[in-house]
Amino acid sequence: MAVQERVSQTHSYERNKVSMFSRRDFIKMAGIMYGTAAFLGWRPDFPQLVASQAAATEIPLHSLENQIYTVCLQCNTVCGIKVKLLDGVAAKIDGNPYSPWTMAPHLDYETPFAQTGTVEGAICPKGQAGLQTVYDPYRIVKVLKRKPGTKRGENQWITIDFDTALDEIVNGGDLFGEGPVPGLKESYALKDPAVAKEMAAAVKAILTEKDTAKKLALVEDFKVKFKDYLDTLIDPDHPDWGPKNNQVVFNWGRLKGGRSDFINRFMRDGFGSTNTHGHTTVCQGSLYFAGKAMSEKLVDGKWTGGDKFYWQGDVRNSEFVIFVGASPFEGNYGPPLRVPALTVGATDKGLKYVVVDPRLSKVAAKAWKWLPIRPGTEGAMALALIQWVLDNERYDKVYLAAVNKAAAVAAGNPTWTEAAWLVKLDENGTPTTFLRASEIGLKEKEPRPLSTDPEKTYEFDYFVTLVNGEPVAFDPYADKPEDAVSGDLFVNGIQLGAFTVKSVLQIISDAAHEHTLEEWAEICGLRVTDLVEVAREFTSHGKRACADIHRGVSQHTNGFYNVLAWYTLNALIGNYDFAGGMIKLSTYDAAGGKPGQPFPLSKLNPSAMIPFGTSIIRHDAKYQESVLYARLPEDQRYPAKRNWYPLSSDVYQEVIPSIGDAYPYPVKALFMYMGSPVYALPAGHKLIEILSDPKKLPLFIAFDITIGETSMYADYIFPDTSYLERWEFNGSHPSVPFKVQGIRQPAIAPLTGEVTVFGQTMPLNMEAVLLGLAERLGLKNFGPGGLGEAGDLSHQDDLYLRMVANVAFGEKEDGSDAVPDADAEELRLFEQARRHLPKSVFDPERWKRIVGEALWPKVVYVLNRGGRFQNFAKGYKGNQVANQYGRLINIYQEKTYSTKSAMTGEHLVGYARYFPAPVDVLGRPVEDGAEYDLRLITHREQVMTKSRTSGNYWLTAIMPENVVLMNSADAAARGLKTGDQVKIICASNPDGVWDLHNGVRVPMIGKVKVTEGIRPGVISFALGFGHFAYGGVDFQIDGVLIQGDPRRTRGFHANAAMRVDPYLGNTPLVDPVGGSAVFYDTMVKVVKV
Amino acid sequence: MVVTSQEQDILLRMQDDLRRALEKPPHQRRWVMVIDLRRCIGCHACTVACVAENKLPPGVVYRPVLEEEFGSYPNATRRFLPRPCMQCDNPPCTPVCPVHATYRDENGVVVVDYAQCIGCRYCITACPYAARTFDFGRVYTDGTAEAEGLILGRSRADDYERVANFEYGRPYERLRGEESPIGNVRKCHFCLHRLAAGMLPACTTTCIGRATMFGDANDPDSLVTEMIARTNVIRLKEELGTEPRVYYLV
Repeated sequence: MAVQERVSQTHSYERNKVSMFSRRDFIKMAGIMYGTAAFLGWRPDFPQLVASQAAATEIPLHSLENQIYTVCLQCNTVCGIKVKLLDGVAAKIDGNPYSPWTMAPHLDYETPFAQTGTVEGAICPKGQAGLQTVYDPYRIVKVLKRKPGTKRGENQWITIDFDTALDEIVNGGDLFGEGPVPGLKESYALKDPAVAKEMAAAVKAILTEKDTAKKLALVEDFKVKFKDYLDTLIDPDHPDWGPKNNQVVFNWGRLKGGRSDFINRFMRDGFGSTNTHGHTTVCQGSLYFAGKAMSEKLVDGKWTGGDKFYWQGDVRNSEFVIFVGASPFEGNYGPPLRVPALTVGATDKGLKYVVVDPRLSKVAAKAWKWLPIRPGTEGAMALALIQWVLDNERYDKVYLAAVNKAAAVAAGNPTWTEAAWLVKLDENGTPTTFLRASEIGLKEKEPRPLSTDPEKTYEFDYFVTLVNGEPVAFDPYADKPEDAVSGDLFVNGIQLGAFTVKSVLQIISDAAHEHTLEEWAEICGLRVTDLVEVAREFTSHGKRACADIHRGVSQHTNGFYNVLAWYTLNALIGNYDFAGGMIKLSTYDAAGGKPGQPFPLSKLNPSAMIPFGTSIIRHDAKYQESVLYARLPEDQRYPAKRNWYPLSSDVYQEVIPSIGDAYPYPVKALFMYMGSPVYALPAGHKLIEILSDPKKLPLFIAFDITIGETSMYADYIFPDTSYLERWEFNGSHPSVPFKVQGIRQPAIAPLTGEVTVFGQTMPLNMEAVLLGLAERLGLKNFGPGGLGEAGDLSHQDDLYLRMVANVAFGEKEDGSDAVPDADAEELRLFEQARRHLPKSVFDPERWKRIVGEALWPKVVYVLNRGGRFQNFAKGYKGNQVANQYGRLINIYQEKTYSTKSAMTGEHLVGYARYFPAPVDVLGRPVEDGAEYDLRLITHREQVMTKSRTSGNYWLTAIMPENVVLMNSADAAARGLKTGDQVKIICASNPDGVWDLHNGVRVPMIGKVKVTEGIRPGVISFALGFGHFAYGGVDFQIDGVLIQGDPRRTRGFHANAAMRVDPYLGNTPLVDPVGGSAVFYDTMVKVVKV
Repeated sequence: MVVTSQEQDILLRMQDDLRRALEKPPHQRRWVMVIDLRRCIGCHACTVACVAENKLPPGVVYRPVLEEEFGSYPNATRRFLPRPCMQCDNPPCTPVCPVHATYRDENGVVVVDYAQCIGCRYCITACPYAARTFDFGRVYTDGTAEAEGLILGRSRADDYERVANFEYGRPYERLRGEESPIGNVRKCHFCLHRLAAGMLPACTTTCIGRATMFGDANDPDSLVTEMIARTNVIRLKEELGTEPRVYYLV
């Protein structure tokens, strides 16, 4: 087998060369042909028209002198695009053929740039309509301040000079006639990194102290030791809350690399706040954080270092795919990349796929099978399939038996699992932690050097598996062939020493057998025959099958365990890192983290602060370790006031409600960047109550390109540059096997105007604001010398061009991974294509100075191509992907088990199990009664992104409004027909309205569309419609009434009909483990209006 | 199984086909479009790409995508049908033009000579495929706020709608007056201006499902020639004898 593979690999390499040549040859030929034609004035196609109409003109859009390759941001798929310019106006957008997102295979990276002017990849309708996001009449171009004397949300604004606005934000004062507002300088309390470092260490000691009395004594010691700095703390009695700096929170929606480096440098390294939070949990949080738990590594005897990541299928090479709660034709990272793999795969390559979704999505319409599952039972379906696969022995025994790396390598597998590891059971038979060899006297612990300090050691304890019934000790990471251990897969409650143990696969099998197949089918609302057919098919293609999952799996109260169940199913066939199986993303490091890279940003960070303390969303922290917990009487500790999130982060729905509850501490100022939690989050209406109250949040600053549903409640809105006017490093998604780094760069002059900071002229945008604040606060990692030995950080380009240089240099210390130099023609085209940009944006001499002469031609090479993209052929090694995850996959999680809920005090479950949804944050079933008889879910349309494309008139012309999708049986039962208007109501919003707290109440009324394409008992609506700001409603600036465009508000937005958690009261239902905000577990009723 | 890059994206294959076709005299080419409905996902990328490429105003659409639902739950499905101009070999629309402004050009594409078109719209009613629409001179930003200096405003925002399109190989700026193509009947022309530059029609290039194929049916080696010889090929309303040059694979 191996020999055969090697032969065919060589063979294919030769063929690649041939095909590569012919493609290049073609582009060259096309270029020559067009050039000749143009020279001779020969128009091959319309001689008659040339005669009858004016003389044919050279079409400037086809020339690279008028094209800039960059990256889309109409959604987050980050497809490569080329922007075609006409007199400085972006006139048309098409796909960048170097980008693996838009062409398959994409052009080899070395394809001469000069030959690509007429070569285009495919992009989706939103990508095509991007011009309308950029040239949006309702874009704000001036700094706006809430008009003093008006309340938040009244939508009355005054324009304010950039510098004055920054002065007010830094210094505070009576800014709105409502009394004093604390400025940032009041919260910028702790400024000495050395003190911060010492405090952080002392706080760590407090947290890890298990004895309550000793813990509180350590707090007193802390207060003595840092007596001169107590005024820098939020509360000296709770030193674990950290410094006052933490009372400034930076929260973002869509944030990409570069800007994230900028924000973190400002907020964390500069200002010293620990409160920088993303929006992950509104998208697919429990997918990410199940991925994190599954990727935790054993380092120095502790489980740590899990990646916030997830896997997707390499569907281009799959023979069979199960899409669960995933909609690759409409979202799913994303259509231009994945659609051709599925459509061409199905017509030409025999690809089969099944779609598990309560709604007949477009991908379901093309599928081999559509399985309209009952929402919230996705994990049950996975366990049903697991049961069948185990009972019929259709799993990869060799893969699962490998307990360590050596055994995996011996079998040709890049990954391995804990399937054959032994787990101890407690007295109730509940699985707990892994059995260690020393516990049964099998093998002594051994001292090993600490990874952080090789001079010191820790005690490594071996794990245990059974081999033919005999216990064997092993090291999971042992990689020498002689250390390979393959264990028995099913060990069911045997006694070893003092312990009753089971193997992990037995534990999973038990979970899969909690119900019979018939019962599972009943729970899911599916047919047994379908489940069996899918399971058989899934196990009939070796490693070229996968279950690709997304929001529909993760955004439930049981999201974490649903995800774990599906990823466990994938593990049964061992498809991780295989072509056609489950893969991870891979990117070129732009931050300079690899040895030899020219600009290591983390080191070029003078006087960087050490942020410490519990975050406002209490992530990465254990409630039971907090001083807050220790100070509570024992009988009042549970439930906590709000949940803690030791296993997740970026818990979007926690940020504003926690500010509202001042839990664990009050917040003074909130920055919101490219986020609209009011619109995007389930039960987002509850945020309005908090945001509109300056007592709960004294200062609210937003960056936006229009006045949006959330920024309308801000005190200041700074206009930002759009995606065609700014820099970003776009990373990748796990749907892409290739190593990439798409770079967004300015393609048009900024429409926001210019400002001056640190003596430099620059576009008015988010970076300019942070630079201006840093200048006023005196942050040392900005301005002159802000990049340490690398120089100044006085302009956004100072950071971003160096990041481009890092990408261009590559990741080999000796520079052998660097891209080629741009040749003279490329350099000419580069400058020529940017001739319309002002000097504050593009100045070749300034740019060259920033990166240095040597790297400049490489930087140009990368920017001309819109980033860096690994060649197609390099993405695969034989039947595996080249960029591998390549390590232990935790299908049993000791760390998860060892975590206790802040709400119940119970251990979490560390493996795939089915927990019925919905439950509240305390784990109690949410039962609103028979009156609420329809399950509300959401979906995406290809022509609309969640919150930011309602002003794209080309798209709204195709789909002016959304509808309430309802099965014909449900419609008939309610006497409804297509076009009838209904109001959507749930137990926590009986009026069915958005109360904007400005006198306006927006009812959630939509038109019914009767369809056969949705499960009875379920209704769905498309996200992105029913706006109540974003240029759709009237507002005032400087007393001038500006009329909104009603096209932008059409349809309805039923997020406010999603269930508020009964215990929390101001937050949607949540997955308390994985952090997801819950979209799909609310029972509603519809009322005809 | 070994993954290789020996496959070529059909976008490149078709551009290669195009190059060969352009080497021939126009009358020896037979431009056809093939739309594989099994691959069409109803995303409307083609619709919007065409609007963007040709700067089409509200109400003017060269390439809508029609959608239908079939069956009953749970045995239901959805079908999507892109409908460009069929570029009929026997077009019902051209003979009704009183000023001969619309005709088949020498490689068979039904074109509109904007300079000759008087906007009578007879052709619109004559087309059995509803492939023609009239340009009333609107733009999508009509009715949006101006508020000079306070927001971007309508007149700064509409540049992208007013810059030239290059239909038929010449620039048509969309000025605020009545100049062509305002007041003309407009229709799909297979992006002749792009073909001349060796580029595929905008709808074809941006088809993320790779459902739309384009090329010279007189070239035995072209992708479209291969496709229209399939057994599952149909054309719309063949009974009318219009002889469409747009084929569908079902």
